[in-house]
Amino acid sequence: MQRSAQASAVSKSAGEPEAASDPNRQRRRERLLQFGTLVLLLAVWEFAARDANKLLVAVPSDIAVATWELLLNGELFWATLDSMSTFVLGFIIASVIGIVIGFAMGTNRTVEVILDPYINALYAMPLVALIPILMLWVGIGFLAKITIIILFAVFPVIINTVTGVKNVDRHYLDIGKAFMASRFMVYRQIIAPYALPYVASGLRIALGRGIIAMIVAEFLTSISGLGGLIINYTNAFETAKAFAPVLVVALLANALTVLVQKVEERFGRWRRR
Amino acid sequence: MPKLSVRNLTKRFPVSGGPSMTALDGVDLDVEEGEFIAFVGPSGCGKTTLLRIIQGLETATSGEILIDGKPVTGPGHDRGFVFQQYGLLPWLTAAQNIGFALEAKGIPPNRQGETTERVLATVGLKGFGDRFPHQLSGGMQQRVGIARALAIEPEIMLLDEPFGALDALTREILQNEMLGLTERMGKTILFVTHSVDEAVCLADRVVVMSPRPGRIREIVPIDIPRPRASLGEALRDTPEYVAKRHQLWNQLMDLV
Repeated sequence: MQRSAQASAVSKSAGEPEAASDPNRQRRRERLLQFGTLVLLLAVWEFAARDANKLLVAVPSDIAVATWELLLNGELFWATLDSMSTFVLGFIIASVIGIVIGFAMGTNRTVEVILDPYINALYAMPLVALIPILMLWVGIGFLAKITIIILFAVFPVIINTVTGVKNVDRHYLDIGKAFMASRFMVYRQIIAPYALPYVASGLRIALGRGIIAMIVAEFLTSISGLGGLIINYTNAFETAKAFAPVLVVALLANALTVLVQKVEERFGRWRRR
Repeated sequence: MPKLSVRNLTKRFPVSGGPSMTALDGVDLDVEEGEFIAFVGPSGCGKTTLLRIIQGLETATSGEILIDGKPVTGPGHDRGFVFQQYGLLPWLTAAQNIGFALEAKGIPPNRQGETTERVLATVGLKGFGDRFPHQLSGGMQQRVGIARALAIEPEIMLLDEPFGALDALTREILQNEMLGLTERMGKTILFVTHSVDEAVCLADRVVVMSPRPGRIREIVPIDIPRPRASLGEALRDTPEYVAKRHQLWNQLMDLV
């Protein structure tokens, strides 16, 4: 692997230097374009909102100052830790449950027939509608937040895992059959690797939905974490400070998406040419 | 006693909203130990289906398969199968693909290394064990498929158009290697192909099948003396080769 990668890198730089540097230059230009647009956007925002009521609209410079303050006094850190620890735990539980149920449904027709209508109904319905009822059952604490995150995140994982498992190419299953691979080997070495890209895209959707669930849960149940900061500072008309956690959520969502992509790439190494 | 017997084998596939399709109809065949049998016939003659039933990948509607006189009910490690395409798991390296078959046979990973190295060397892929299938040419991928079948040390090798998807040159190179390999090892081999040339080069007997329903039309012995591998390209100039190729070609043209 490594040998061939080196060889191709060498041949590229020696044979076609133009083509090798071009994608890099292209990428730099794209980054510059994105950064420039951001600066322009912030400038327009700053300029347009400078005469607006400070209680209702914050300008970027105020948000930067507020964010810095909340960073210094540790408030942002502790809120992020609170939100993220709940989110990560909920997301992991949702992933495991989703993959297990998805695998069971994809490999066992009976399980699929029984569960399919419920999964589809719950995936399609606005789960926010269930939150008040959930609060009756599990209260407004940590357990409520975790439950809501799992509920939001689990269905895309299930649905995508089922799709991946059921789509496994018959040719690959024939290999397992011809060489008398055990059921466990077929699951581990044929079905799971085949379904992995499907599962990964399910996880990416679950990530987005899980973040939404986290914020919604923090709004509606225990006013805590990043969602709690947003609610509290908005209620206090400290709009600039309310934007700081929004910024953190946006950055975290992006970072987590990249992380899932990296994990997917690591397991999909065999795909790379 | 023949190594392998096919007795009155019939296979019908259900067709939705119509009468079932008869893929194989009363096929009888005896194969001796160490014999190389090639199956040729127009598409739809059931040659691949026959091979898949012998391997246990599909079940017959009626009739039976006997190996050493004992009826066969499913796949077994006594048979090694080589697929036409998509025969390797793309997420496993060449060595891991071979390891898959060994593990399925119950050989733990720490005792697979030597066998894997040996079979890779046998097919001329020494040092390529850590390559993923997409890093190998089509011909090399088929060699890995053959190496994997060899690894489990089967008594019978079944090859389903193994060179069908390769370019003409690679195909001929692999045919010659196959000839050398089989003549050294003396295994019983069943080989499905749509190439008359390939069948005459490799086989002791060529089974000609006719379609709709799939039946054995004729069994043609190929009396080119062995070892043929050393003849190289001259093999295709021998009078026996030319005559048998001609004969088979005419028979197939009658069937199309």
